Amino acid sequence: MSERGLEAAEFAVKRAESLGADQAEAYVGISRTFSIDVENSAIKSAAEKRDAGCGVRCVVAGRVGFAYVTTLDDNDITQAVTNALSLARVSVPDPDFSTLPSVTGSSPRVNGLYDRAMAEIDSESATEIVTRVVDSTAAGLEGRDFAIEAQVKVHTRHVAVANSLGIHHSYEGTFGYVYSSPTIKVDGEQTSTFDYEISRRLNRLNPEAVGKRVAEMVLSMLGARSIEGGTLPVILEPEAVSVILGSGFGAAVNAEEVQFGRSYISDALGDEIASLELTIVDDALLEGGVGSRPFDAEGVFSQRTVILEKGVLKSLLHNSYTSQKDGVENTANASRGSYMNLPSISTSNFVVRSERGSVDDLVQEFGRGVICRDTGDRPNMTTGDLSAMIMEGFYFENGDIKHPLKNTLIGINMRDLLKRVVRVGGDVRQTSGAITPSIVIESATVTSG
Amino acid sequence: MFKAVILAGNAALMAISMENLAQAAIEAALRVGATFADVRIENTTSTIIEMSDGVTRRAVSSHLKGAGIRAFVDGAWAFGQTTDLTLKGMQVAGESVARLALATRSKVRERFDINGPAFRDHVKLTVKRHFHDVGMEEKMAFAKQIDSQAREYDSRIANTRTVYGDSWTELYVANSLGTSVYIENSLPRIISVTTAKEGSNRQRAFKSVGVRGGFEAMETDEAQTLGTQSAELAVNLLSSVAAKGGVYDVVMDPVLNGVMVHEAFGHACEADNWPAHTTVLEDRVGKEVGPEHLNISDDPTLPGLRGSFEYDWEGTRTRKRYLVRKGVLTELLHSLETASRLGMEPNGAARAQSFMYMPIPRMSNTFMEPGDWTFEELIEETRHGILLCKFNYGYTDPSKGQFMFQASHGYLIENGELGQMVRDVSLAGQILEVLSKVDAVASDFELEAGTCGKNGQGVPDMSGGPHARVRDIPVGGM
Repeated sequence: MSERGLEAAEFAVKRAESLGADQAEAYVGISRTFSIDVENSAIKSAAEKRDAGCGVRCVVAGRVGFAYVTTLDDNDITQAVTNALSLARVSVPDPDFSTLPSVTGSSPRVNGLYDRAMAEIDSESATEIVTRVVDSTAAGLEGRDFAIEAQVKVHTRHVAVANSLGIHHSYEGTFGYVYSSPTIKVDGEQTSTFDYEISRRLNRLNPEAVGKRVAEMVLSMLGARSIEGGTLPVILEPEAVSVILGSGFGAAVNAEEVQFGRSYISDALGDEIASLELTIVDDALLEGGVGSRPFDAEGVFSQRTVILEKGVLKSLLHNSYTSQKDGVENTANASRGSYMNLPSISTSNFVVRSERGSVDDLVQEFGRGVICRDTGDRPNMTTGDLSAMIMEGFYFENGDIKHPLKNTLIGINMRDLLKRVVRVGGDVRQTSGAITPSIVIESATVTSG
Repeated sequence: MFKAVILAGNAALMAISMENLAQAAIEAALRVGATFADVRIENTTSTIIEMSDGVTRRAVSSHLKGAGIRAFVDGAWAFGQTTDLTLKGMQVAGESVARLALATRSKVRERFDINGPAFRDHVKLTVKRHFHDVGMEEKMAFAKQIDSQAREYDSRIANTRTVYGDSWTELYVANSLGTSVYIENSLPRIISVTTAKEGSNRQRAFKSVGVRGGFEAMETDEAQTLGTQSAELAVNLLSSVAAKGGVYDVVMDPVLNGVMVHEAFGHACEADNWPAHTTVLEDRVGKEVGPEHLNISDDPTLPGLRGSFEYDWEGTRTRKRYLVRKGVLTELLHSLETASRLGMEPNGAARAQSFMYMPIPRMSNTFMEPGDWTFEELIEETRHGILLCKFNYGYTDPSKGQFMFQASHGYLIENGELGQMVRDVSLAGQILEVLSKVDAVASDFELEAGTCGKNGQGVPDMSGGPHARVRDIPVGGM
């Protein structure tokens, strides 16, 4: 498979050069995704998707055009190259773009990206995993009126990148997750929650653990009430940290957003922008990390980048364009969702350094406040204002969790939030967007009604 | 018989019709043992041009072509996709998907059949200026013009970003019930995002125009002045303040009202929630969910709108859906499966992002029907509250009944008059409570283009309505 991807990428680069590109780059993705879905506590559907496509970036006189096609057929790739070239020729050149990246350094060793058991999983084994997560969720809800949605999904992806400057790399990785989301009804009240485990290795997924946790959680969410608002401490559990810091801060240290003045972080390198408690690393080399890879989406070798060290902003996240523009080292954070996208910038493994204590310990310590387990909200990236609904959360008082919350929002500016991280827990989780424990914000505006 | 001229570029395919390709997969699936099978063959070309601060940041041309295949037996579904659009390739894919459905069959609990009417049609979409006939230079020049407008509006403009996008889709849908439908879609969109800066105060504004039509839809005054509009809003936002959190009487503008209808209600009406038991509206069909003056509709048949289509992605003819009539929940958004299982009539709401996804019930153009108040009466009569306008984003969890959405800006209502401008105002609420709090609906009407995400699939849509007032809603503050 690796040869097919690199061959297609090389073909695209050569074709682009022969049709007039000064520089060209091709990104090929070949993937297989297998999933099984559960509805109302029983299996309902299975899907197997095989996808292979190629994205081509062409440079003509400093102008850039990009095109992709959902096949690896020579004719289709040639058509994509032609389209990319015609777009490049009519583009307004960006004076800050100088060149595609070339090879620097040596290929890092990143272990645990590929798991044969996951790549070769058959429908019977996948069915067994999803059945186990449903059964264990149901076991925790015996005697209740419930409906479980669940899913197991495994993904194998081969990536190849080639360009005119000698980049010529490929790798293969796997990842998968098992997910359960029960909805329960008790005395006319209805609520639901979700939990999951995500890993690059099949044997790291523990369906029973997910089922047990999620059943306990959904029961604890009955009886949601609003509270008297005010200024209160907020405990963000890992899922919420992953949204608010992983996305909401991860995107603010995206060098492109900073360069264009669209980030609430600017001119702050070397400044103490966060509390001493907070150290955050973007580590693309982490063994078995869901976001690990030997090279980024432009084929630049991966690295470990300290973003925040004890509250001090150490580095932004760069790709080749932003690093050339700022004249700094490329942190190899170019990313693409698939061959369909141009490289942008994103975190690899966003790791918040853990300290100690569980959520229960933090509740004890802070006495009164709210816990935000999950939210769908991200800050306004320009102002940093965050108004986040507590999608799942609890009110605690006198060191005890009192009741779940409804219609409750947290308001705080991200610059304040970063400064007010007074505690970092030890309950580390791998979420879909970060590796992080819970953190405590000393105070935020809580509105409820 | 529709010739597969859309598959130009692969000469061997020219002689084979899409109908033949689809039939090869369907017949193969039935032969293996499926009781229902369907196929979507898609050919989509699109362009995205992004200008920022006067230079081209992104110029993307794409070509999506392939087939999505589903097989069904006794309540078990399987899905697969292929880009091998040959008779052999389709046959292999059909067999493989059917085998997966059969392997899943023993595990399903609820057994049911897929029924529905069969449609045969070939609908061409007429546009004045087809995207393929408009040169890249002209598209680039248009994006550049909008970007320049925003940059030149005011010295406080710190960053401009303009995104032009177009996509042309040819879709053929066939199934084992006899459906064979070909439709076309043409969606242009222009977006302007402007950041204004004054000292350390930075504000960002967003404006967009998106319709169903050809490039001519970008020649309207609204589209042609979009950069100016977004720059004006960004500059105005510099003098806004963060709202103080609390419980308010809120007047929503048509765009925000549309977001509320979409997030707080539309998603909960998607009928896949019923067999899954994941909506708080489960027991409410035929029952009161709001006041008598409240009517909510979803209508994919309105001409020229971004959420409109003649047939859905299962090949079912679309029609207007009356979700709420006189305060009563009357209709749901159906796929063939949900209509079959609930014993209701399919109404053409199954949509997929592309051939790579399974179609599921989705909204199209969703709105609150106008009432009889004027906007001026609403503000004056409210006395103290907040007018909220446009939106940044919103989301919901129908199984919990909780939703939230965020207005881009608004104005305090003081003594029946509009006062201080506020920004980024978030509202949270409960699906089952919020509609009963809508106590006044104006007679004006407007729809806004959007893209709605569900289960990882984005589909183009619109939402809107008139100005309307909601009493006692928690508004988040800083």
